[in-house]
Amino acid sequence: MGVFVFLPLVLPLTAWPIARLAEQHLHPRTATALLTGVAAVMVVCSTVCLGLVMVVGTAQLPGNPLPDGWSDPEVRAAVPYDEVAGKAAVPALAAVIAACGRTLWRHARVRRRAHRALVGLPGKRVAVLPDAVPYAYALPGGGRDRVVVSTALLARLEPAERRALFAHERAHLAARHHRFLLTVQLAARANPFLRPLRTAVSYTAERWADEEAAQVVGDRRAVARAIGKAALVSRGTPAPTLAGLAAPGPVPRRVAALLGPAPTVCRWPPVFTSVGLAMWGAAAGAAVSAMSSANSAVTMIAILHAATPL
Amino acid sequence: MSVRETEGCGREADVADHPRRPRRRGQGELEALVLSALRAADGPATAGWVRERLGGDLAYTTVVTILTRLLAKGAVTRERSGRPFAWAPASDEAGLAARRMRGVLDAESDREAVLARFVTGLGPDDERLLRELVGRSPDEGDARGEGDPRGEGDARGEGEG
Repeated sequence: MGVFVFLPLVLPLTAWPIARLAEQHLHPRTATALLTGVAAVMVVCSTVCLGLVMVVGTAQLPGNPLPDGWSDPEVRAAVPYDEVAGKAAVPALAAVIAACGRTLWRHARVRRRAHRALVGLPGKRVAVLPDAVPYAYALPGGGRDRVVVSTALLARLEPAERRALFAHERAHLAARHHRFLLTVQLAARANPFLRPLRTAVSYTAERWADEEAAQVVGDRRAVARAIGKAALVSRGTPAPTLAGLAAPGPVPRRVAALLGPAPTVCRWPPVFTSVGLAMWGAAAGAAVSAMSSANSAVTMIAILHAATPL
Repeated sequence: MSVRETEGCGREADVADHPRRPRRRGQGELEALVLSALRAADGPATAGWVRERLGGDLAYTTVVTILTRLLAKGAVTRERSGRPFAWAPASDEAGLAARRMRGVLDAESDREAVLARFVTGLGPDDERLLRELVGRSPDEGDARGEGDPRGEGDARGEGEG
């Protein structure tokens, strides 16, 4: 198995180019599905490999519950630098499990508490809350998907913009965007190299909902205005101005994209363009990642099986 | 027993005779129940009255605890009338829901946002950029030759629920 066991830990780097290019060159729906799929494959592979290295590391620790045969030289020879890597893998895997568990727990808690907050309200799909702070959320699950909007935000939007806002939130709920977001969030927790994919997916999911809303409302400009106004009224304390230094944030990019023409639904881009290369690079990375983790897992199981006295 | 069943239908006896013990309720649900009971009262009511109204299957101390919690949230007011306090609702259910929702949202740090929110925070330069983009008048935009062919779609009439 050799060095293959470490490959899936760093192969997420092959997805960085597509994470950067997808938002400009692919339809948001394609980009979201592609990036989430790549992130899911890579995170499973990298966690499996971390687990394999961890077993070798744990077997060396005094007083461990694993069979004695698992710390034999033959087993340890399967992992390069087994002394360091094995011992480092133990806390690393513990950190991954803790971080993912915490993310899942927080996700469940926020959703549960948000649903509980709306318990007394009549069972409509839209909850308009009298609040001076402008906000709008898509709240999935709990037996009934809901759109939560504050009166402060609604009061600042014109009818077409309100329709755009509701269409946007309904698109989130209808396409179950929270599942994509949760997947990439867990992936980014489990392997920090996957963080650019999380950023990219949270942007493309918003763009996806924007495009759906533009189609429902039939007016791209109204959706753009709704987003722009919502962002301007909900901005917090004005940030220190570093004019020209910061790249435009996600909100202006969304508005600019809506002011432009609708994106074409993607045909698979030609290989010899930057986005085509990036896409194939990510696909190849995911495939190599899957193969090396499968290879490592099979080899490791065979070795451990041979080393276990029966 | 839902909020709507107990609310303003004048069947206290019915509710009080309810034979089965209802399932365990969440905190928010109890608060909503107590608040809707208070709202059904003519004027301020005591905790004992609220308990009766809810069918008597809650302990007196539970009702007082919930009322105190609602008081801390500013959802009810109280005044002393003789020995017990008289309680009155300060805001309606939507107001209470808004207060609770704010609590949830404030507790959630933006960086680890769990719910898909309509817009995220603006960066240093974003505000100016956004004003430029949004401030462009519609005819200017159309003059740039990017008129959306779907602009005449009949989806415009779609109302929000």
